[in-house]
Amino acid sequence: MNLTIKATKNNTFDAVVVGSGMTGGFAAKELTERGLKVLMIERGREIKHIEGYDTAMKQPWEIEHRGKTTNVSAEERWANSRFWGLGSEEVVNHLTNDKENPYIEKRPFDWIRAYHTGGKSMHWGRQSYRWNKQDFEANAKEGIGIDWPIRYEDLEPWYAHVEKFVGVSGQKEGWDVLPDGHFLPPMPMFAPEVHFKKMMTEKLSRPVTIGRIANLTQPQKVHTDLGRASCQYRSKCARGCPYGGYYSSLSGAIPAAMQTKRLSILHDSIVSEIIYDEQKKRAIGVRVIDQHTHAVTEFFAKIIFLNAGSINTAALMLNSKSNRFQNGFGNDSDQVGRNLMDHQLGSGAMASIDGFEDDYVYGQRPNALYIPRFRNWGNDKQTAYLRGFGYQGGASREGWESGVNADGFGADFKKSLTKPGPWSIRIGGFGEILPNPNNRIYLDSEKKDKWGIPMIVTDAAFVENDWAMRKDIIASAVEMLDTAGFKNVTSYDRPTHMGLGIHDMGTARMGRDPKTSVLNAYNQVHDCKNVFVTDGAAMASSSCVNPSITYMALTARAVDYAVKALKKRES
Amino acid sequence: MLGGAFSAPTLMAMNHWEQATSPTIEGAAFSLSDTHRKIVAEIAEMIIPRTDTPGAKDAGVPAFIEMMLKDCYAQSEHLSFTEGLASMEQVKFLELNEAERRGVLKYLEQQTKEKMKAMPKGTPFWRLMKELTLLGYFTSEAGIKASFDYVQIPGKLENIKLKPNQKAYAY
Ligand SMILES: Cc1cc2nc3c(=O)[nH]c(=O)nc-3n(C[C@H](O)[C@H](O)[C@H](O)COP(=O)(O)OP(=O)(O)OC[C@H]3O[C@@H](n4cnc5c(N)ncnc54)[C@H](O)[C@@H]3O)c2cc1C
Ligand code: SF4
Repeated sequence: MNLTIKATKNNTFDAVVVGSGMTGGFAAKELTERGLKVLMIERGREIKHIEGYDTAMKQPWEIEHRGKTTNVSAEERWANSRFWGLGSEEVVNHLTNDKENPYIEKRPFDWIRAYHTGGKSMHWGRQSYRWNKQDFEANAKEGIGIDWPIRYEDLEPWYAHVEKFVGVSGQKEGWDVLPDGHFLPPMPMFAPEVHFKKMMTEKLSRPVTIGRIANLTQPQKVHTDLGRASCQYRSKCARGCPYGGYYSSLSGAIPAAMQTKRLSILHDSIVSEIIYDEQKKRAIGVRVIDQHTHAVTEFFAKIIFLNAGSINTAALMLNSKSNRFQNGFGNDSDQVGRNLMDHQLGSGAMASIDGFEDDYVYGQRPNALYIPRFRNWGNDKQTAYLRGFGYQGGASREGWESGVNADGFGADFKKSLTKPGPWSIRIGGFGEILPNPNNRIYLDSEKKDKWGIPMIVTDAAFVENDWAMRKDIIASAVEMLDTAGFKNVTSYDRPTHMGLGIHDMGTARMGRDPKTSVLNAYNQVHDCKNVFVTDGAAMASSSCVNPSITYMALTARAVDYAVKALKKRES
Repeated sequence: MLGGAFSAPTLMAMNHWEQATSPTIEGAAFSLSDTHRKIVAEIAEMIIPRTDTPGAKDAGVPAFIEMMLKDCYAQSEHLSFTEGLASMEQVKFLELNEAERRGVLKYLEQQTKEKMKAMPKGTPFWRLMKELTLLGYFTSEAGIKASFDYVQIPGKLENIKLKPNQKAYAY
């Protein structure tokens, strides 16, 4: 039974935010802090910070299958379990049940989803890097896609704003390729990593730094005011952190927005359409389907922020048809759903390390090394491909797991596995993917999900530039580990698809020209100025660094603009 | 034709893996016979024997192995596992003395290395036994507490120097 509850005063807010994840959380915080009454609408179930982290304090033996994916999970989470570890009981129930929320893979796409409070911000790897100046200029210089309507300088103050609130630990290096931010103290490198950094600097002139990560190495007042505490170095962040040691919407933005008493959150509520008023020539609200009862309700607001994650945001726009927008909301350019990008992942190299037998570590570092882009940068010029890649990885001492492949059994073997094993190292690439209108998502014309919403079709794949870059990711990784003097250097190249980088973006890009882009320089839909898209959909190119901090900076900047514009309109 | 004239490893060498009978098993219905359970327990205990610390049997590893195979492994592994057990039965593993059993396992280990190179469809029996025994033991409460310096909440992160005979940390 579908019943539509018509507009009531209770259903009217200053702003509606669709999605409670990384960007929706930040939008809600910024909007409420500027005095707006906000309704945040989340399709998934409610997870409460701390008490909702049901596996966080479990001991290893309390995890029944000890981290392995069960056959049942593999079937239910057929897409999510393609990413290492997401099928484990430690986290699997926090990831979307793909069987109940299927999508159609015209071409395979590893779509990793988390439909619940906080979205994927609960699960992210927390790596936080600013884009550099070139990242915003490369499209124009190389004639790829369209030019960004903004430059690094436009975002710079907003990066600082986000970093201070989120709390990013890192080392200032003064490199153009990886602009420094507002950092908490860095986490330490391990002894073989210090050696590695030295060798890379001296022999290859390639930079290496400790990962810049949104874990609190030294909480500031802005963090402790929200109940967040220092990281305890358990490295079980993916389960949710009871200390608020790492940033998520759950630990940071949502509590901050709640403190203003201006935030309401609706869970289990799927936004199916944006309601466009043909007379007012504005979006006036959203239509919402209760995921359990299927009841339909409408909510109204002066401004609407779309933060459902790049693919769901594009799908929502495509599904919102009106007389004015017959091709989907804000889609005069036909770019909604197109230019789907990600970072290619799954290739690199590993090696064993002789020596450093006396060096060990107390605590688990939830972080790794970062090797910023060195290709097509400075004097380096590659002919086989455009742009570049960065590496993440690091060294660790092997544990009992090394016994699985080693010869031996019995008492001595057993004893040997209780000692720290030899050091080994592994680095893997994150490669920039170019915008390509043929890489896209769209809505199936016939098949619908159980809520009657057209199903999403993924139609994207790596192209030549990506394969050429991948070759180099592998070759350069081998070269670096060799040069460092490490042993048994072996490359790896896992068959993957787009999506596995979990950095999907580009499906409603920013630009200067409404004919070729969906959003303007303030993330405003060109043809409907009271709707803002500030998740990854807005991206006109992908850089090769992890994107979330950039999404959040864009969000904060757009909110600042939106609220100023609203106040102007109303005064 | 089977008899004491051949050592168990030789017998096994004659009996190629590929020729071993392949009982069809329904994925979810995977379970072991009592004899097979005994063999699994004996081999697990030989991999991780009771010493001054608990062994595989003490830590509940045999039941863990069966549960894991059933819940987390594919039918191809169920097949290779039961094939491996069938060849253990064939060499009358349970009737062998300690030294003979060691001989069988050593042989199996070398043979498995060869087999792994060919990237078989189902992970070979010995490799499954080993990975599940180590996983089951070193993540069990008894195994962790007896083997490692178990720290649930480190509270800090530090480069340190290893002391002589220091155990590994587990978290
Ligand atoms: C394992 C993992 C590791 C990662 N590591 C990093 C990293 O190291 N660094 C980094 O920068 N990024 C990382 N990411 C990516 C990061 O999580 C995303 O970039 C970020 O969460 C995107 O924010 P978002 O707001 O766009 O989407 P999400 O955080 O996914 O939030 C979207 C929310 O919208 C909701 N929603 C969707 N559709 C609707 C609808 N129709 N109606 C209502 N609500 C809806 C969803 O349920 C969800 O809660 C990682 C992700 C994962 C999973
Ligand atoms: S490593 Fe730090 S942030 Fe991660 S779960 Fe542990 S205490 Fe929390």
